[in-house]
Amino acid sequence: MGSGPGEHGLKRVPEAYKGAVLMGAKVLIIDDEVQIRKLLRVTLEAHGYSTMEASTGREGVLKTSMDIPDLLILDLGLPDMDGRDVLRQIREWATMPIIVLTVRDDEAGKVYALDNGADDYMTKPFGMSELMARIRVALRHIAQQPDEPIIQVGPLQIDLSRRVVEKNGEPIKLTPIEYDLLKALAINANRVMTHRQLLKQVWGEQGTETAGHYLRVYVGHLRKKIEDNAAQPNLLLTEPGVGYRLVDPN
Amino acid sequence: MGLSCLKKTSSSRPKWRVLTSYVVPWSSSEQLLDEPRVGRAKVIPYLSVTLMVAILTLMFWKIGYAFTLVNLALLYLLPVLVSAVRWGLGSAFYAAGIGVVAFDFFFVPPIHTFTVSDIRYFVSFAVYLAVAAFTASLAAELRKRVRDSRERESVTSALFALSNQVAAARDLDTVLGEIVGHASRTFGLATVIMLPDASGQLTARAQMGLTTVNGFTVVEPRVVSWVFEHGKMAGYGTNTHRNTSILYVPLKTESTVHGVMCIGTQRPLGKDNPHWHIRVVQALAGLAAVSIARVRYEEKAQIAHLTAESERLRTSLLDSISHELRTPLATIIGAVTGLIDGENFLSNADRQELLVTVREGAMRMNRLITNLLGMVRLESGMLQLNKKWCDVADIVGVALRQVKESLQNRKVEVNLQSSLPPAAVDEVLIEQVLVNLMSNAAKYSADGTTIELDVMEYDGVLTIRIRDYGIGIEADDAEKIFEKFYRTDTGKNVPGTGLGLAICKGIIQAHGGEIFARPGEKAGTVITIRLPVGDAPEPILETAEEFSHELID
Repeated sequence: MGSGPGEHGLKRVPEAYKGAVLMGAKVLIIDDEVQIRKLLRVTLEAHGYSTMEASTGREGVLKTSMDIPDLLILDLGLPDMDGRDVLRQIREWATMPIIVLTVRDDEAGKVYALDNGADDYMTKPFGMSELMARIRVALRHIAQQPDEPIIQVGPLQIDLSRRVVEKNGEPIKLTPIEYDLLKALAINANRVMTHRQLLKQVWGEQGTETAGHYLRVYVGHLRKKIEDNAAQPNLLLTEPGVGYRLVDPN
Repeated sequence: MGLSCLKKTSSSRPKWRVLTSYVVPWSSSEQLLDEPRVGRAKVIPYLSVTLMVAILTLMFWKIGYAFTLVNLALLYLLPVLVSAVRWGLGSAFYAAGIGVVAFDFFFVPPIHTFTVSDIRYFVSFAVYLAVAAFTASLAAELRKRVRDSRERESVTSALFALSNQVAAARDLDTVLGEIVGHASRTFGLATVIMLPDASGQLTARAQMGLTTVNGFTVVEPRVVSWVFEHGKMAGYGTNTHRNTSILYVPLKTESTVHGVMCIGTQRPLGKDNPHWHIRVVQALAGLAAVSIARVRYEEKAQIAHLTAESERLRTSLLDSISHELRTPLATIIGAVTGLIDGENFLSNADRQELLVTVREGAMRMNRLITNLLGMVRLESGMLQLNKKWCDVADIVGVALRQVKESLQNRKVEVNLQSSLPPAAVDEVLIEQVLVNLMSNAAKYSADGTTIELDVMEYDGVLTIRIRDYGIGIEADDAEKIFEKFYRTDTGKNVPGTGLGLAICKGIIQAHGGEIFARPGEKAGTVITIRLPVGDAPEPILETAEEFSHELID
């Protein structure tokens, strides 16, 4: 159920996303706090986005269907309905990126949102620059050519057509599983991938419960091969309790 | 009577059961009361005395020619003395009686008749009887005294032992159990101690002698509450409610009545029940009262201590929070108003500096609130461990990333044992512990110094050690720093709430591990965490390797 990141992006790519990307993209902010909405509106507009606001879940669902925004910022803690229900209702038909805002200590809520179609999450309180980066990644991802054969993440270059991985031009030897794992992370570069999403993409549907252990082991193996210092990784990052994120260290 | 009573209850429900609340069946085992022994035991002394007199008579008859009659009369005093010492006054008089009769019949001429030839013999008989009576009563009195003092001594030493046990016992139920058990063993009587419960209702808190059902007796609630209210004894042997076989003794210290001890039997207590029995009961009641008072005072002292402690905590919480919240708020409000008001004359660099101040103030408030919420979660028991098999090295990496900024130019030497096994922990919480500890290490050490982080596993125990070369701690503070709101004197000028380490301790303890601190050998502080890693999951490592032995070029 739901469409994980990396799937809905392939279906329908509105023309507006392509070319001189993202500028002027419409962002719907669904949050009950006036202060947060104001802060987001001011910052987003300063960055060249146009914004719409909704203060309740119902209003958010309505505005999404009427105005079709390019991206949603959804607070999971809404007064009238559970933010996760809002997410599910919207995901039933809409494919635009959704970034959820959560509070600390709600790892279960984060994972649920991500597994049910959210593209990324931000933990309150957050820095604006971080949120802007997440918005850019989400919008760029949906605009990305699905048949792009070469993915560049920091020093890593992954050639999907030849199944070759290079770091700073040096080839890296990977086992098939390590390669599949890196590929799943690289396609969704800079976005968080939950354990379940990774397991599904690398091992397939079956046995995701027990395979959580495999994932940890293979992330360790992969780190030893792609990181300068596997103990203090700066490419393949762990999001505790949620999943992993392959980032461009710069 | 007891049996017939029992039969009745088993066949049909008797009316009195409905009316009374406390039914105390009696143990009919040995009754240590001074009731005269019945049956066989009663006859034995008389048989023995008769036998003794018979043997003496036979002996004198055979060798009587060697004695004069005066000798024989004196020798007949022997059974009197023996039976007086052995069995008491009754058998002694009996011995004297049959002694005289035997003497008269067998030895006083004319022999084999009760007639006496010489009238002077009657004087001898009278003297003999008088001497016998006198010595018998003396001996019996002596015997009684010895027996009394022996019994008293045993009761006293038992009381002494009991008071020792009671003094050593901690909780009320043990104490009352001991007392009730003792009373019941000493007197063979059922004993109940009744104390007011939470609603003020007097209920049996400890009881003994209720296991057998040979008979019944009833503790009357009416009398119990009367005794409780008036603080006076009632029931058997007193002037109030005397028509009962139960003695109700108030458990009284100074002005307070704590409860009522009921002790009694279904049979009337022996009519010559010595007065000291009542005194022993009173002594037991006194002991019970003192014990109850002691436990009550301890409880009160405990509550007072807790109240004082929570008062102290509340004060330091308020002090700490108001200071820790107001300081960053002051910088934020100051900087922001400066930015708004000074739009025209602030340089770009000034503006930037003020903005950085605002951000730092806000971050500090965020840390405080995170810690406070963490503490609340720990204290309220809302903390739920989400244990999963985790790569500890990974958690260390995440934590180091988090504290990167606050480390500034401090160098972190990470030393991970190769091939660390997975650990069953809540990774988010353990990460928080490491972040707190690393932030502390940075906070209390100078910029540019080294912080060492070692992780190793041995025998199922994971050890994480964080060593800094900062201001360090006193050995006395090593335990206290894990208490809520505790700040060391040396670290007082460093901002902080004294919550971080308390949270760490809470989290580690929730994992079944331990955390402790000690001063570093040369300088700084060493914090050590020891965590059980749990039973390793199924060895999938090898099978996983088999899956992917084929390498991609």
